[in-house]
Amino acid sequence: MKFDVVIIGGGLAGMTAAAELQKAGLKCAVVAAGLSLHNVSRREFTAAGGTLLAGDSVVSGRFDGDRLAAVRTGKLGSVELEADNFILASGKYFSQGLVADMDRVYEPLFGLDVEYDEDRSTWFDPSFAAPQKFLEFGVKTEDGCALKDGSKIVNLYPAGELLAGVSTAQGDATEAIKKTALAAVEAIRRK
Amino acid sequence: MQETNISAKNFEQCQKCSLCETVCPVMANNPKYAGPKRSGPDGERYRLKNGIFFEDSLKYCLNCKRCEVACPSGVRIADLIQQARIDYGRKAPKLRDMMLASTDQMGPLAGAFAPIVNFSLGLAPVKGLMHATIGVDKHRTLPKYSSETFVHWYKKHAEAAQDAYKKQISYFHGCYANYNYPQLGKDFVAVMNAFGIGVQLIPEERCCGVAKIANGMIAAATRDAKINIEAFLRSVKEGREVVTVSTTCTLTLIEEYPELLKVDNSEVRDHISLVEQYLYKGIASGELKPVWKDGFKARAAYHCPCHQERLGWGIFTTELLKMIPGMELIELESNCCGIAGTYGFKKENYKVSQAIGKPLFDNIAAVAPDYVACECETCKWQIEMSTGVPVKNPVSILAEALDLEKTAAANRK
Repeated sequence: MKFDVVIIGGGLAGMTAAAELQKAGLKCAVVAAGLSLHNVSRREFTAAGGTLLAGDSVVSGRFDGDRLAAVRTGKLGSVELEADNFILASGKYFSQGLVADMDRVYEPLFGLDVEYDEDRSTWFDPSFAAPQKFLEFGVKTEDGCALKDGSKIVNLYPAGELLAGVSTAQGDATEAIKKTALAAVEAIRRK
Repeated sequence: MQETNISAKNFEQCQKCSLCETVCPVMANNPKYAGPKRSGPDGERYRLKNGIFFEDSLKYCLNCKRCEVACPSGVRIADLIQQARIDYGRKAPKLRDMMLASTDQMGPLAGAFAPIVNFSLGLAPVKGLMHATIGVDKHRTLPKYSSETFVHWYKKHAEAAQDAYKKQISYFHGCYANYNYPQLGKDFVAVMNAFGIGVQLIPEERCCGVAKIANGMIAAATRDAKINIEAFLRSVKEGREVVTVSTTCTLTLIEEYPELLKVDNSEVRDHISLVEQYLYKGIASGELKPVWKDGFKARAAYHCPCHQERLGWGIFTTELLKMIPGMELIELESNCCGIAGTYGFKKENYKVSQAIGKPLFDNIAAVAPDYVACECETCKWQIEMSTGVPVKNPVSILAEALDLEKTAAANRK
């Protein structure tokens, strides 16, 4: 199945980007594991003709050189979702956009490069209310694109909390999350 | 990542976020129901300690599985509830429940006397009597039975021609196409044949068992499930994929058999597909070539049935329907219609059933389509009865929109 943009994640970043791109006339699909709480964006997205794969999740990607060519989901089986561009808005730890082991933090879907401190003792502050460093960790980017083993995936744009530095550690991150989503939208529209 | 976990049906993954409660159609309309979180993973913790913590209110669950679609942690909430009803439910099914659930026993019986049955089930005194005695709600329009079953029609008019096709599939027609609406089966054969595919029946086919599971007749459902899976295995070995038309039958065959009935389907589950998925894949790969009628025009609203939501395959239907030139397809907001198989037929559920369906009915009225496109037979009864808007199965829409002769010619080459 062919789309202009496939958005992985139906949270604030994913749904914001999806609604903007679909309204701009691009054919988009959102893969959202679990309910999307962002009703306004979701309705705008579906009303503009966007495809929402609710309750499904991306399980693997097919790379073609420096591009992500297609992804597969748990429920569509052998039918791939192909796209010119992808937005990865899979969030941090709760939604398993990031996974923390004892000695490393990694991005489980594509194995993207992640920014984190190798010294585990710095990850967290025992004081519950203190800003927590692990919330600052996230995937690295160059010109808005994701990196894998140090090289750019030229059509894969991480957005939202998945990004390094975007965090709820200092309180409300809604605006920051939206800005990263709109930056991904801009990058794709400029192409 | 979230698909596997060591706790049964992933219940320990529940984070108590309560998202499932926000989508539960019953919880919003029936205060007697504690909702999916408390009936499912929460209750499970108690039930594992002692079965006396089982609550009868679990019977109010529709098993629509919207909670499972909403869950961000992959907890099989509705399955937990159904499993608890199977493991701890103490009440034997009532006569009414057995009658509603035994679609494959009631079908031949009612079909034999179809004109009389259909006529009398439509009469107010009969409805009143059924309401008072066995508890089938008098407000309901009961499904009509057909005097000629699909299987009977197939043997008389279609069977002989099927072997001539190079490609063959096995058709799991389900009880509805067979006893209530053979036209669906006829449309299925017409469309498949046009694409150059021969349709074989499964001689051993039994009811998928969904209604028996819902009504506590587990032994009977398990027996039928084993017969079906063995028959599918033979079909697959002989090179015929199993193609279905009912979303609920399909979900039952694929998910409920291993999960609730403990009937292993691992060897065949990837060979069972809904007809829309089967055709979409064939057309997208260029293997099947549709030729559409000139001048076809329709404005259809797509209602995605709950079990199609859970399968995650609604996209195949919408993509397939969008291929039709002259088709204006509007996707309705995802809502339960409220019937949930046999649930809405029971008099204690009628009001809740209609209240659940109201947002969908209002949505349909606002869109005012020529018809609603929907894969599910019980949604069709509910929507037609409650809105007056006709409901068509996508297969029947295809049968109308395809130029069957030209398609047949294009696929012979």
